[in-house]
Amino acid sequence: MSETGFTVDVFQNEYLPEGGREVNAIVTVLSPDTGSVGGASSEDAAEVIMVDCSGSMGAPQTKIVQARAATAAAIDVIRDGVAFAVIAGTQYATAVFPPNGGLVAADPQTRQDAKRAVSGLQPGGGTAIGQWLRLARDTFQSHPATLRHAILLTDGKNQHEKPRDLDAAIDACEGLFSCDCRGVGTDWEVAELRRISTRLLGTVDIVPDAAGLAADFAAMMEHAMGKQVAGIALRVWTPQSATVKFVKQAAPTVEDLTGRRTQSGPQAGDYPTGAWGAAESRDYHVCVQVTPAGIGQEMLAARVSLVSGQDILGQGLVRAIWTDDEALSTRIDWQVAHYTGQAELAQSIQEGLEARKRGDEELATAKLGRAVALAAESGNEDTAKLLGKVVDVVDAATGTVRLKKRVDDADEMALDTRSTRTVRTRK
Amino acid sequence: MTAGEAPRAPQEASICPSCGQPVWPGDTFCEACGAGLAATAPAVARAACSYCHTGKMGQDGYCESCGRKAPSGRDHCEADLGLLAGVTDRGLRHIRNEDAMALAAVQAPGGATAIAVVCDGVSESARPDQASLTAAKTALSVLLSAARQGADPAVASARAIEAAQAAVAALADGPNAPSATFVSAVVTAGAVTVCWRGDSRAYWLDAGELSAAQALTTDDSLAAEMVSAGLLSEAEAMASPQAHVVTGWLGADAGEAAPHVSTFVPPGPGAVLVCSDGLWNYQPEAAKLAMRALPAALREPLHAAQALTGFALARGGHDNVTVALVPFPPASPAGQVRVYPDDVLDHAAVKEMGE
Repeated sequence: MSETGFTVDVFQNEYLPEGGREVNAIVTVLSPDTGSVGGASSEDAAEVIMVDCSGSMGAPQTKIVQARAATAAAIDVIRDGVAFAVIAGTQYATAVFPPNGGLVAADPQTRQDAKRAVSGLQPGGGTAIGQWLRLARDTFQSHPATLRHAILLTDGKNQHEKPRDLDAAIDACEGLFSCDCRGVGTDWEVAELRRISTRLLGTVDIVPDAAGLAADFAAMMEHAMGKQVAGIALRVWTPQSATVKFVKQAAPTVEDLTGRRTQSGPQAGDYPTGAWGAAESRDYHVCVQVTPAGIGQEMLAARVSLVSGQDILGQGLVRAIWTDDEALSTRIDWQVAHYTGQAELAQSIQEGLEARKRGDEELATAKLGRAVALAAESGNEDTAKLLGKVVDVVDAATGTVRLKKRVDDADEMALDTRSTRTVRTRK
Repeated sequence: MTAGEAPRAPQEASICPSCGQPVWPGDTFCEACGAGLAATAPAVARAACSYCHTGKMGQDGYCESCGRKAPSGRDHCEADLGLLAGVTDRGLRHIRNEDAMALAAVQAPGGATAIAVVCDGVSESARPDQASLTAAKTALSVLLSAARQGADPAVASARAIEAAQAAVAALADGPNAPSATFVSAVVTAGAVTVCWRGDSRAYWLDAGELSAAQALTTDDSLAAEMVSAGLLSEAEAMASPQAHVVTGWLGADAGEAAPHVSTFVPPGPGAVLVCSDGLWNYQPEAAKLAMRALPAALREPLHAAQALTGFALARGGHDNVTVALVPFPPASPAGQVRVYPDDVLDHAAVKEMGE
């Protein structure tokens, strides 16, 4: 086991009642402080910025102006030595900088040249995001850097290709680079960008006013520059005859990784976690179903490791002990309970908003009411605030709400994109 | 030492690197030549899994195939010291083994002497497993020193339980003081001296007359007190939910009550059984225990102890089970001192030098 200083802590109630099958645990992973990871030189990092230049970006004109300014702000944050490129997206994808494609190392001169090229971006044409992603992939693959990160900005729906074309492009990019997606205005689709950001291990968010783009882009790039090591996976070993019910990232956002498993051994599967920065902390909820053993017996329900290739960076054990002591088996682990609630919160919001869109007010009221109660109970104040813009809260504790008659599109989209943000347990 | 801590699965013997005689897992010295085996002791963790029989045990102590934890430490221990033998087992319902045993075979000035101490940690107290092991080891080291010096077993037993009480009381660091029951038996060619607190028991199993089998201890328990007061029959008391409420134990909160010491002169050959309630719960009657243990207990005490433990497990193994058997009279000269667990000898040696 290599000494890379990732710490893996497991929180669970390991006691199961007689015949109990389901083992839940929260696995908290903390990456080491700056410098101790090693190998994170600027030469190993690459950045691609995809800017929507479709016709709608010119209406109003401030959108393209702000997009140029935001891209310039992001370019300013790119560290010397990091390979970067800018792509303009319409129904096609075009290299903006470097003008002949590929990537170029950042330095004062190349940053200056890139910003000059970006200032000439003009709106016109359609939107085919799959094309942008494919060019980004080809651009990354022209360079040996392994820490690959992209930013995708759009203001509209993916109108000029079929959904399956976009899906095929996402498939082609998965595992090769991570991508943070931003929608400007309210004419784009949350579900569409979430599909990209989820599969490409990035974030999705709304920037309702183009004036906010520059600060957001700079912050995103700052965050990307902090990444030190890419291609880290969560490896989950389970006993013979056990099944993994789910593996979810639980903090800082809820991301279901269950379907992302790749088999890495006869009884082990890897779940992608992407790139890690220094002193970064994430929580995972692992749920395993095991074959019960007798009272008093102990079983290893899962061995959870953080792996880079075949190197094990850290490891934690999820255990199961069967007992006839009810005081032990009924004890609730507060971390598991908390994140189970946070996952339900995200799901309630997404289902509630979907029901509202369909006109099913009864279901929307029930789901969003449940979300209000969960947000209040867990102290997720940011989400509670966002919910308050979509429903009138009568009683937060019981989740009694009324749907607002008029809801700003931007507020609804902000609630949708940010529904997966969780808070850590208070204790 | 024969003292071994073997998992339930049959273990293969390995070979002493000095003399080529078989040695067993857990041995620290070769029985035949006395060579130290610490470095060559087989690593139990790499053996095949005793549950699924297919996987190998991983370095963290779990089967690489079925995930089951290797039986370890005190879950199941066996010791055969020739003059006596014992088995202690976690049972099937408890998470850990809170019973402890300590055994010694010694050539005392008055002849071969076998000593057995069995303690049962009180589950409701803090760290009961530590309490029982501390009590057993402390008492054994005192009894062993006394036996080597030819001291009177009754006097030594009283001193031993006093030392055990002090050691267990010293473990207390909170309101729920660690505590354990206690029973010791010192078996010489002339007599059996027993000493106890709580409901761990000693029995005489008579080789000649089944009806001569008898309990050598009386429980410090609510049930026993009600029977002796004539309030309940023995059967009623056993069935009562309070049968297991002990009224005497070792520990910081044990009170002032004096321990019981009694000496029994066997009428002829037989065996002394020292056990925790994990065994006698399933069969309290001396004659029936004798039927199960004899005649094996006379010549192969380890085999008989394994059989009695197996009987308790087959009946449900609801509690930890500890069984020690001492054939009477102590057969052959014991030769060098043999103890279980191994570290008691160091403890005793240090004590002797200090005295």
